[in-house]
Amino acid sequence: MKIRIARAKTGTPSKQKEIVWRLLQLAGLLIFATGMVLVATAARALNRQPATPQAAQSNSIPHVKCVVGLESLKPNVKGSLSVLPNGLEFATGKNKVDISTTSILDIFAGQESRQDVSGTAGTLAKVAIPYGGGRIVSLFSHQVEVLTVEYEDSNGGFHGAIFVLPEGKATAVKNQLAANGAKVTPHVQALQQQEQKP
Amino acid sequence: MKPLTKTVFQSIFSGAVCSAALLMAVALPAQPGPSGKSAPAPHQAKKLTASAIQVERTGPTEDLVIPEDTRVATYENLILQLNKTKKFEHVYRSGDRTAATVPDLVILRLIPEAFKAGSQKQREVTTISGATSIKVKIQFSSRDGKVLLEKDVEGKVRFYGENLRATYDLAKKVAALVNQTF
Repeated sequence: MKIRIARAKTGTPSKQKEIVWRLLQLAGLLIFATGMVLVATAARALNRQPATPQAAQSNSIPHVKCVVGLESLKPNVKGSLSVLPNGLEFATGKNKVDISTTSILDIFAGQESRQDVSGTAGTLAKVAIPYGGGRIVSLFSHQVEVLTVEYEDSNGGFHGAIFVLPEGKATAVKNQLAANGAKVTPHVQALQQQEQKP
Repeated sequence: MKPLTKTVFQSIFSGAVCSAALLMAVALPAQPGPSGKSAPAPHQAKKLTASAIQVERTGPTEDLVIPEDTRVATYENLILQLNKTKKFEHVYRSGDRTAATVPDLVILRLIPEAFKAGSQKQREVTTISGATSIKVKIQFSSRDGKVLLEKDVEGKVRFYGENLRATYDLAKKVAALVNQTF
């Protein structure tokens, strides 16, 4: 009997501790998930705010991702894209690549959506959130514009560079390049609009 | 006790030898004949050789709408992956005039057959839907237009990753095909 009472006495605080520990775990997970969403939203807002005045002043758009297509650069490299009087310039910390206006064959601008939490670290974090919490984080996305510039090199070889820009910037770049004398096929514009509608 | 275990082992061993012999007897007629007489598999026999390859760009098709960024990404990723195979001295781009002087040039064409745009958000939320896929017919031909090899290849992104990753997957598969063929 004494033993039973002793067990019961020792069992009650341990259960309470367990409940408190589980509550703490759940609270921690909630805070983590909320934090992830907040960080993603804040990062997006911070990226956008300084971009507008700089772009207006010097025609340079920071935080542009070059997906593929610039020969001396690795895929998915980030940098700033500038429209110059004689063409387009993409500059990273170390390298600069120019595409002259005369070499441009066509320009396309299209809209896409990107996840707020993405990349290897983001994907791992989403997978790590239990009870399908990662799926809720996946619901948060933002619109971006994809700029595709087709151009040829000095030997006539065809190249295509794909840039991901903040919303509204690709169309502006396309219009600026067209105003500078770059070739833009009009019927392709109509085709892209058709694709976006449905 | 010892002679008993010995006989058990002997009987098991003889049984195993008999069954192995029976299996071999059954399997031997199914084997192909000597290497000189049998017709080898077409993929193994047709090892192509070329010092250079030229990748032709995929133009817009009337019946199949593929976004321009997907077509361009396919072309650029393919060039990157072909360079990585190191099977050719030079990988020429579409329209490159310097390719005209190469005698044993192989031309690679991608003929789009199917495209499904998909959605990254749908993929990540539902897991089972929203996959992006692009299916193309890969055609290796000589300069005179003779088709050397044709094969269907499909690039996909099913779970995590942006839609354009399907073009990377496709390019990797084409590079694997090049590694097998050349």
